[in-house]
Amino acid sequence: MTATAASDKMTVSSMRIVLARWLVTAVLVVLAVVTLYPLIFTVINSLKTRAAYSADPLGFLTDITFENYLETFERMKVWRLLLNSIITTAGGLVLSTVAALFIAYAVTKLKMRGGNYIFLFVIAMLVIPSQVIIYPLYETILDLGFGGTYQGLILAYAAFGLPLGTYLLSAYFRAIPDELIEAARLDGAGDIRILFSILLPISTPAIAALSILNFVWMWNDLLLPLVIMGGSEKKTLMVGVALLSGQYDVSIPLISAGLIVALAPVIVVYMLFQRQILSGAIAGAVR
Amino acid sequence: MAETANLATAPNRMAKRDPRREGAAGSRRVFIRKETLIALLFVLPGLALAILFKLVPLLRGIWLSFLETRGFEDPTFAGLANYRTMLADPSVHDSFRNALIAFATLPVWIVLPLVLAFLLFQKTPGWKFFRAAFFLPYMIAPIVVGIMFRQILAPDGPLNAVLRAIGLAPLAIEWLNGPTSALLALTAVALWSFFGLGVLTYLSGLSTVSEEVVEAAKLDGAGFWRLLFHIIMPLLKSVIGYWAVLCTSGILIWMFPLIYALTKGGPGTATVLPEFLVFTTTFQFLDRGLGAAIGMALFVFVAIVSAFVVRRMYVEGAQKK
Amino acid sequence: MTSTSLAAGGRRRSARAMLAGLAFASMTALAGPAALAADTTTIRVLNWEPGGADYWKALVAEFEKQNPDIKVELETVPFDRYPEVQGPYITTKSGPDVMENNAGLELFDRRRAYAELPPEVLEAGKDLITYSGGCLNFDTTKACYGLPFGYQGNVMYYNKKVLAEAGLDPANPPKTWDEMGAACEKVKAVGKTCLAIGLSGIFPAYWDFPEIARNYLTEDDMRAMLAGKMPWTDPKMVNILKGLASITEKGWTNSSAPSITMLPDGADIFQSGNAAFAGTIISDAVNWAAFGKVLGDENLGAMRWPTLVADAPLANSFSGIESSVFGVTSWSDKKDAAFKFVKFIAGKENAELLTKIAGGISLNKNVDPSVMPKSQALSQILEIIKTPTLHAGVLLSGQEADALARGWQEVALGRLSVEDWTGRMQKALEQSPSKRQ
Repeated sequence: MTATAASDKMTVSSMRIVLARWLVTAVLVVLAVVTLYPLIFTVINSLKTRAAYSADPLGFLTDITFENYLETFERMKVWRLLLNSIITTAGGLVLSTVAALFIAYAVTKLKMRGGNYIFLFVIAMLVIPSQVIIYPLYETILDLGFGGTYQGLILAYAAFGLPLGTYLLSAYFRAIPDELIEAARLDGAGDIRILFSILLPISTPAIAALSILNFVWMWNDLLLPLVIMGGSEKKTLMVGVALLSGQYDVSIPLISAGLIVALAPVIVVYMLFQRQILSGAIAGAVR
Repeated sequence: MAETANLATAPNRMAKRDPRREGAAGSRRVFIRKETLIALLFVLPGLALAILFKLVPLLRGIWLSFLETRGFEDPTFAGLANYRTMLADPSVHDSFRNALIAFATLPVWIVLPLVLAFLLFQKTPGWKFFRAAFFLPYMIAPIVVGIMFRQILAPDGPLNAVLRAIGLAPLAIEWLNGPTSALLALTAVALWSFFGLGVLTYLSGLSTVSEEVVEAAKLDGAGFWRLLFHIIMPLLKSVIGYWAVLCTSGILIWMFPLIYALTKGGPGTATVLPEFLVFTTTFQFLDRGLGAAIGMALFVFVAIVSAFVVRRMYVEGAQKK
Repeated sequence: MTSTSLAAGGRRRSARAMLAGLAFASMTALAGPAALAADTTTIRVLNWEPGGADYWKALVAEFEKQNPDIKVELETVPFDRYPEVQGPYITTKSGPDVMENNAGLELFDRRRAYAELPPEVLEAGKDLITYSGGCLNFDTTKACYGLPFGYQGNVMYYNKKVLAEAGLDPANPPKTWDEMGAACEKVKAVGKTCLAIGLSGIFPAYWDFPEIARNYLTEDDMRAMLAGKMPWTDPKMVNILKGLASITEKGWTNSSAPSITMLPDGADIFQSGNAAFAGTIISDAVNWAAFGKVLGDENLGAMRWPTLVADAPLANSFSGIESSVFGVTSWSDKKDAAFKFVKFIAGKENAELLTKIAGGISLNKNVDPSVMPKSQALSQILEIIKTPTLHAGVLLSGQEADALARGWQEVALGRLSVEDWTGRMQKALEQSPSKRQ
């Protein structure tokens, strides 16, 4: 009798577990809809004509049209802008990561004096509001001779992405046992070799995580490209998309199409690096 | 001859030995200097970037805040005049008040992604899809987000339509018309953009939690919430701290493009946060000195708040241990 | 060994010779276009492409055809981010050779960045209906900083189909405030919005304020406004604010008005056929052509805003202003070429391009009227613009425009009284850099 009672209790509790699992799934589905709907909304808008959008902004598609995408490609030199964005974002990413790697190594492994102060200084640069420094930043860039150049934007991106990178990589390095470094030193390896042959391969998860974070904001940023490139033909893709809305000519379907075009590369990059981001990188870093 | 040569060289050798002894000490000094030098070289690129592109503009900004700038006339030195104007200006007070109200939602920013991450951690069906879906908003540029939500939150928009459909008609207000509801809506939209990042951060944090601890707690009869709050949270203290700091600067600084796209600070000044006020002061009101002063105040504000958050997180972490 | 070293030396020598030859060839190749480039001047033009990208492609092509020794490098920046790019250029006195700004106070505030136009450039302005918007205080005898090419101003568009549906006569839209009120009651009765409007952003300040202001101000009053000598506490100005407030108070507008933008949201409400009226502009093809395309040209009409004070001196005038003004920067070292560009902007060829491609209304008197598209709304507009007066909107400073728009949002929501709004406007006036007394 006790056996059946026990098994009854187990079915009840396992039913509860099943119910709980379905409830959880329901909640997650609702959230996923909330998360995805605006994007779907934008895609739908991009396939509507202006008239159709004005008539029924929130309705579904009646006739699909690609005229917005065609116009986007006509008005923007999409491939040139894409190239500009790739050059500046990739450059900024690489430079930012390398600089962060160096600082992280110096602070955590070389244990340099004053290392912590340098670390704190770099991190503190994270909290400077961007609107404040537009004028001074432009003046500084001009003084350095970087106005309207790829280098200027790459350096600015690197500087703005540095705090996050330094923080994550330093924390990640701290978790790597010192013995590993010592052993390599005893083997006669120089610092550069240690950094690039030993630490770098171990830290790929952290670097991947850092890269996707920095990549997204660098790709989407409007402020720095405007301040540094102005309206020159080296402008980035995002600036080009912003140009789709003229002074008095604002068409939501057109802007939506432009935004989907700008978003596509980001999604591609995300798909490629998905696994690295989620492989315990960040937490391993901040433990 | 060899002997005389030796004798000849002997005093030289002696002489040479002395400096070498000093050199030994000296070479010890050289050894230390070499190490610091190498470390300095490593730190140099990043330091140069941070100094040139962030510190120097910041210092120039501070200098700018001491100037009186009337439009595009030549600026004149004005000492603390801008700061005095700023302290007396009610719109500045309002913007910081709005910032504090927005900041008061920080607990939601911290806890909601954690709950979701823990839910996903249970590997319920389709968890990989949800994980990707939640991260998507972060990848969408703020301009788009603003345009999208202006449509969605419209009085006859889909949000209200859904609320009416599920019987919550009284909640179907004009979201962007009321001051508090507009600020709330703005913060909610910002959270929508950001929370996926939090979920990912916490998920990777959870992957470092040892299975045994969780199993043991489950065997002890711990339910979902007890597991979360009493076991998981203490273990993830540092991840939570890191995420909290990110949210702080996110709420206080990163929201600008969103405000611009969604409400332009309206209705009235209900959603004007300090960063937005810096923008209008500098570029619409053509008073970049005052804008810089407000910006400096914001910088100090964010720094203090971040330091406070960090200390709380890490002090608590230390206490728990 | 020697033979191989000789051979090696020989190989080395021939390698060096090849490299030298390659270098020489590439240098001459580069020198070729470089030599040509030495004869052409490149001017950088900063703009937000008013009239659209297609129009500007044609404009640059035409200019370069007329001036083969000048090359134009367009630096186009989104309109709403223009101040963030132009501002640092002005303070560092560096950057483009030609810039644009909206006529009126916006240009005057930046006059130190522009070179005064010499008389031979102003010659090109003689063919324009007016170019005073580019001159200090709208006075062509004073310093002028830029030449305009397009005309801009405010009209009220109406949807004839909606009017008919509401039982109103589409051929006789309301002319007075009271008529408008009556019309709106009828329009609301058929479930449509009467006046589509969006109060977020500063367009209401530039588009609606002047229309009400004309009922209470004379041109002298407006000049006083520009000089900062017309306080907002003056009864005339208070009446304007009351007029604006009555639009939303009487329920003529969509309930979402305080939190939507005029462009694109407000315009979209009108375009979707859900509103009877929309107060926008005549500039560019955007409004009369775009509305006509969506609603059907035969359904679109354009009229003056209804008057509050029917016998006011400016009540039946048109708030007209040059749209944007192009000038030469004070730091440019290519002023000759840049001045040529400015002259071209005001010239006949550009006027025709503007009309044909951008659908804008040109200021040039010599434009062939047959080039203009046939549309009833456009013919109505062309009638309306025949009696222009100063545009009160461009006399507002950045502070005032901001306070006007935000105040109106709160008044529309019933959270601000007109008195307090007046107080805010006065404070904004006192903080305006060029209006401080």
